Amino acid sequence: MQLYVNIAVLASIYALIACGYVLIYRVSRVLNLAHGELMMLGSYLLLTTASLFTGHPYLAFAAAALLALVVGALVYLFLLRRMTGEMVLAAVLTTVALGILLRGVMVLIWSASQQYPREALGWANPAIALPGGARISTFALLLILSTAAVYLSLFVFLRFSRWGIRMRAAGQNPLLAAQRGISLHGVYALAWGLSTFTGGLAGMLLAMDSGLDGTMVVIGLKAFPAALVGGLDSLVGALLGSLIIAAAEIFLIHHVDPLLSDVVPFLVLIAMLVIRPWGLLGTKEELDRV
Amino acid sequence: MTALLQVEQLEVVYQRAITAVQGISLVVQPNQIVALLGTNGAGKSTTLRAISGFLGLDDARVTEGAVRFKGERIETLSPQDITRRGIVLVPERDKVFPNLTVAENLIANAPRGMTLAERRRLHELVHQYFPKLAELKGREAGYLSGGERQMLAIAGAIVCGPALLLVDELSLGLAPVAVEELTRRLVEIRRELGIAILLVEQSAAVALEIADHGYVLENGRVVLDGDGPRLKSHPDIQEFYLGGSGERRSYRTVKQYRRSRRWYG
Repeated sequence: MQLYVNIAVLASIYALIACGYVLIYRVSRVLNLAHGELMMLGSYLLLTTASLFTGHPYLAFAAAALLALVVGALVYLFLLRRMTGEMVLAAVLTTVALGILLRGVMVLIWSASQQYPREALGWANPAIALPGGARISTFALLLILSTAAVYLSLFVFLRFSRWGIRMRAAGQNPLLAAQRGISLHGVYALAWGLSTFTGGLAGMLLAMDSGLDGTMVVIGLKAFPAALVGGLDSLVGALLGSLIIAAAEIFLIHHVDPLLSDVVPFLVLIAMLVIRPWGLLGTKEELDRV
Repeated sequence: MTALLQVEQLEVVYQRAITAVQGISLVVQPNQIVALLGTNGAGKSTTLRAISGFLGLDDARVTEGAVRFKGERIETLSPQDITRRGIVLVPERDKVFPNLTVAENLIANAPRGMTLAERRRLHELVHQYFPKLAELKGREAGYLSGGERQMLAIAGAIVCGPALLLVDELSLGLAPVAVEELTRRLVEIRRELGIAILLVEQSAAVALEIADHGYVLENGRVVLDGDGPRLKSHPDIQEFYLGGSGERRSYRTVKQYRRSRRWYG
């Protein structure tokens, strides 16, 4: 039973991060390779807001989440906006450079040592007993619930809200979207904001559960195969991909070797790229020939 | 009366080398249907792209002349800004969002400065003009027939609240019955909503049926213009666009006609 709980927790982490990759790719066809760093930035922002709003943990959490959203939109407006109309490769390389830059800046500002925002906020993380003898930490449970809430909200937003429909429209045909008066920069900035918000939320909850240091970025990187395995332009695919990667990882760690943790996601990714390069639920036509 | 759209001596160059439009001038008055006729490569679609602000995508730019809408120059504005000022393009291809439903295709449009009541009124109106769209509202646009797509594209443009509708190749690939239905709707839309229409067509028969005024382009220049009935009865138009005599002509005769057409420019 504990095994399945661990799979659910890991799948939730990957899914919460992977939806950020999907959102940006689906709307603008750009692979955001700085997503892991932006996720980590979210957790460092929480560290800062925790010290700013001492005694108001909810306010600190909300402020950090809001800041993550704003940072994402600003990254688009001040950096990626200039790449609109250029080759997609230029935008992807920009995100690589941004990721490296952010990593350095975060070490400069917050240092590379392990830190615990939960202590700064004064929250406990007691384990909760589940039926079947399994246990789950409070923040891990919160992570699962947050992932469910985020996905549900995204589905409702993209399906029923005017701006959500515009985001889907811009992702399908940006030229026609512009002809119909849709502000592409507005839609892209929103996608970047939402993506960084969900990534930041994942980073914050992870940091609350198990602390924060520079290695968190690896988790962001491991969520990338989850998005690819599911299909880069499908949110349901991201959920499915996260579940597959998490299940493979936990089973192999448990039954073979814990050191396989960092290898398994990429092994699954390579297997998927060989068999079905567009992912489980991705659009075949969307993939450029390699 | 100020013209709704005035194109003055427009020159468009692709990739800094190929001049596709050479000094075209045309006028669209409010509430008027104007046809832009010509064969492939005459410069019709380029003119439309210059008016709607989409030249940059093809590495083309306006090198001379001006495009004025309601008296203001617009040739340097972005496509979104031009749409929001009231010029909406119905493109030749990729005219709907294929993975969105018919209803979502209409909702996605982003008219500026329109109240919710005005938006609702426009949605009701397009369903009056194209009742079939109401029946198909839950269907993905990618599964619509060519005629239904064209209906949806025009409806989507009307929802943006335009003062001028640019329609690129209305009849392309459609059955004559569908074309007849669509042209009838365009006339109604012009009459009832007061929307002016600039219609780019290869089929002169379709365009001159409803146009108040027409321009014939050849090699990036206007070679002939006049009101609809006059153009329709013009011998060159009869011969070249409406298949007047029906007899096959020799190259020498055709060449002679081409020369005579250029005299009008």
